[in-house]
Amino acid sequence: MSHIFAAKSIITMNPSQARATHMAVRDGHILAVGDASHIAQWQQAWGDMPIDESLSDKILMPGFVEGHTHMMEGLFWNYDYVGYYDREGPDGNVIAGLKSIDDVVARLSQINQQRDDQTQPLIAWGFDPIFFDGRRMNTADLDKVSTECPVIVLHASLHILNTNSLVIEQAGVKDGDNNEAVRRDENGRPSGEFLGQLGMYMAMRTTGLDLLGAAGSAQTLINFANVARQTGVTTATDLANPVPVEAVQTMLDTISQDSFPMRLVVAFQGGGADPQDGIARIKDLQSQQTDKLRFSLVKFVADGSIQGFSARLKFPGYFNGADNGLWYIEPDRLKALIMAYHAAGIQIHIHTNGDECTDVALDAIEAALRENPWPDHRHTLQHCQMANRAQFKRMAKLGVGVNLFSNHLYYWGDAHISITMGPERAARLDDAGGALAENVPLAIHSDAPVTALAPLFTAWCAVNRVSSKGVTLGGETEKLTVEQALYAITMGAAYSLRMDHEIGSLEVGKRADVAILEEDPLQVGGAHLKDIAVYGTILGGKVHVNKRGAK
Amino acid sequence: MVVPITIIAGFLGTGKTSLLNHLLAHADGRRLTALVNDFGALNIDSELIAAQNGNQISLANGCVCCSIGDDLTLALAQVMNQSPRPEHILIEASGVADPARIAAFTQVDRDLRLDGIVTLVDALAHQHHANDQHLADNYRRQIEAGDFLLLSKTDLASPAQTQSVRQQLAAQKPTTPIAISEHGVFDERVLLGLNETHPLPPQAEIEHDLRQWSAHMSAPVPRQHLLDSLRTLAPHLLRAKAVLHDDEGAYVLHYAGGQSSVAAFDAPPSGHFVLIGKPDMPDDASLARLLMPTPMPTSMPKSMPRRPQTKSSP
Repeated sequence: MSHIFAAKSIITMNPSQARATHMAVRDGHILAVGDASHIAQWQQAWGDMPIDESLSDKILMPGFVEGHTHMMEGLFWNYDYVGYYDREGPDGNVIAGLKSIDDVVARLSQINQQRDDQTQPLIAWGFDPIFFDGRRMNTADLDKVSTECPVIVLHASLHILNTNSLVIEQAGVKDGDNNEAVRRDENGRPSGEFLGQLGMYMAMRTTGLDLLGAAGSAQTLINFANVARQTGVTTATDLANPVPVEAVQTMLDTISQDSFPMRLVVAFQGGGADPQDGIARIKDLQSQQTDKLRFSLVKFVADGSIQGFSARLKFPGYFNGADNGLWYIEPDRLKALIMAYHAAGIQIHIHTNGDECTDVALDAIEAALRENPWPDHRHTLQHCQMANRAQFKRMAKLGVGVNLFSNHLYYWGDAHISITMGPERAARLDDAGGALAENVPLAIHSDAPVTALAPLFTAWCAVNRVSSKGVTLGGETEKLTVEQALYAITMGAAYSLRMDHEIGSLEVGKRADVAILEEDPLQVGGAHLKDIAVYGTILGGKVHVNKRGAK
Repeated sequence: MVVPITIIAGFLGTGKTSLLNHLLAHADGRRLTALVNDFGALNIDSELIAAQNGNQISLANGCVCCSIGDDLTLALAQVMNQSPRPEHILIEASGVADPARIAAFTQVDRDLRLDGIVTLVDALAHQHHANDQHLADNYRRQIEAGDFLLLSKTDLASPAQTQSVRQQLAAQKPTTPIAISEHGVFDERVLLGLNETHPLPPQAEIEHDLRQWSAHMSAPVPRQHLLDSLRTLAPHLLRAKAVLHDDEGAYVLHYAGGQSSVAAFDAPPSGHFVLIGKPDMPDDASLARLLMPTPMPTSMPKSMPRRPQTKSSP
């Protein structure tokens, strides 16, 4: 079956044909790209095709590719959203943002009162105290929601959560002034705010729920795909997943459905397994992959996070004097893992946040390349937020790509200037401009659900480099142009996933995966990228319209 | 029941797996659950595996091994959400973990008690680890967090080397007990504690370089008195266990990892009282005076000779 989409304009990302207005599609692939004057020629060559005029006032771009997200994004939509901004749920309904802590309490109280069983845990997510002028949520707030059931509010960052006093009582939080993960009030009592894994552990123990058990129910997958689709994404990643045997069938069954609107690349979580077992597992998974579900790579998490002070930093370390962070995989073992997977011809993505960790990863890749030359391996450093020019130069020489965490500039930029890194290093945080200047293949990402999944917002972050308090990090040298940012969220990410021959641009022979926009990102200008409304997507030629797309 | 947790820390290759194997083989009826990084490394004899289910292996002796995967938070929560709960949890910290951060879980779970952090130090590789470009700070943190330091690979190191490492550790942590393990073996009663089925280790069978003191008490001992006394002994003390009574009734006291915990004991108290400490623990008569203000103990201890080492695996 073939047909022609007519658009107001098509931004193809194909350098030899940058703009078009019409695109013919057959069997999920692009048959032809051009303008109205080409249609007769196409009909002659390929037969009669109907023309779909429903998108004739829209801007089409290649479907966005999100190279670093987590399926867990879909898990949280099983709970209640209480964030500051309006957010469209996987069902297309818009949930109004909440502008004060009292609003959050009122919303949760209402949800609780409408439940049949008010003794079950009440879990909410997306809360972000950045917007409330320093006021923090405490147990007194959440006790107004309920004192009969555990109430747990996850912050947008996922690194912090709040509880009501019942949770603290049930957990039996012990005294321990040295525990920085338990925030305390002026009287030394737990304030209700808990940090990091400690908070997550407590939440899982008091609710009995596997809040991190993201192995992937069908509903979680569907939620994830729908949330991504609404932002124009046609290919996203789950980076990473241990891919237990029982999860594979669920993935295959769910994702193969025609109504499932996204391609998914699942990275095998390789840090814990013996490399030979992991390699065999990936090869087995690859034998089961489809056009919509890929198991093309292995991922290692080598250090922690900068804002959690668990990333590994080089001299002079953390700006506030905190101890250097943690290795999640010891350097020798990381090297052994990289050597083994590289030798087996499996593409490797490595989470390195701090600059010391980036060095160690590059040393290992260099050693692997000496032993087994592989000119087009496309190993990629994920986050890699503190990389300097010397490291980018090395990456370019080694053929290593980078996927920078540009959303960090907005969410934690202020903290990086004043607490974690200081002004100089924060100025070149997630230095996308520097990476391109040194010829490093570049993608940019959200790490959803850690920050909001929306590639146009991520592009906006990389173009403007503005923090949530309005401070600009760095200057023109570090910024991307709009064109560069659009490339990064399409071709750049596709390249990092070894899919640039299939997706990432709209040209003949590639998959008909499209983001349908209300405005032209190259005309609205960098300052407004994040405000462009997404009408929907096309996946393999099939149109998916957002519920609130046309407005 | 509150579940004690023992954290086994130490760099890659320091012998954590050998020690875990030894403990699982000598569980002696304790239902241990070991959270480990890699099943494969444990090399469990397939004849000893009673069942395997996802990330858990049940052993014929009642112990369970769970693979941590990439998330200890989830693995520990799953184990604690199961019924019945394990009797004792062993956590094999990854070679680069900060065991103090793992220990912090016990502060937000009334059902957990930190029993101790055992940090293994490789006598052969100590200098190398202490000066490693990328790992020196992690290494220092693991030693700092340990409330019991166990020197491994001493059978491969020269006596002078072992002695030198020992002196360096003693200088770094003067109040922490340091002991020697050979072939991954160390007395499980010291590491896992003395439970109801293992009330008293025979006097002659505690490892060298540690002292044991034990007594039998039928008279009441106020728990607050005992807690205060143990606090003064802390620099010398590794572990204590007492099943005694006072005005409030029978109680069981555990001391490990620098922490005391007291819980009501719902059976007739046995009157057993055992301390395991460093060689510099006060002499026996002083201990008796300090701990038991009224009657004298019914048995008096001796110094402990060395127990022959055996190599074993579960």
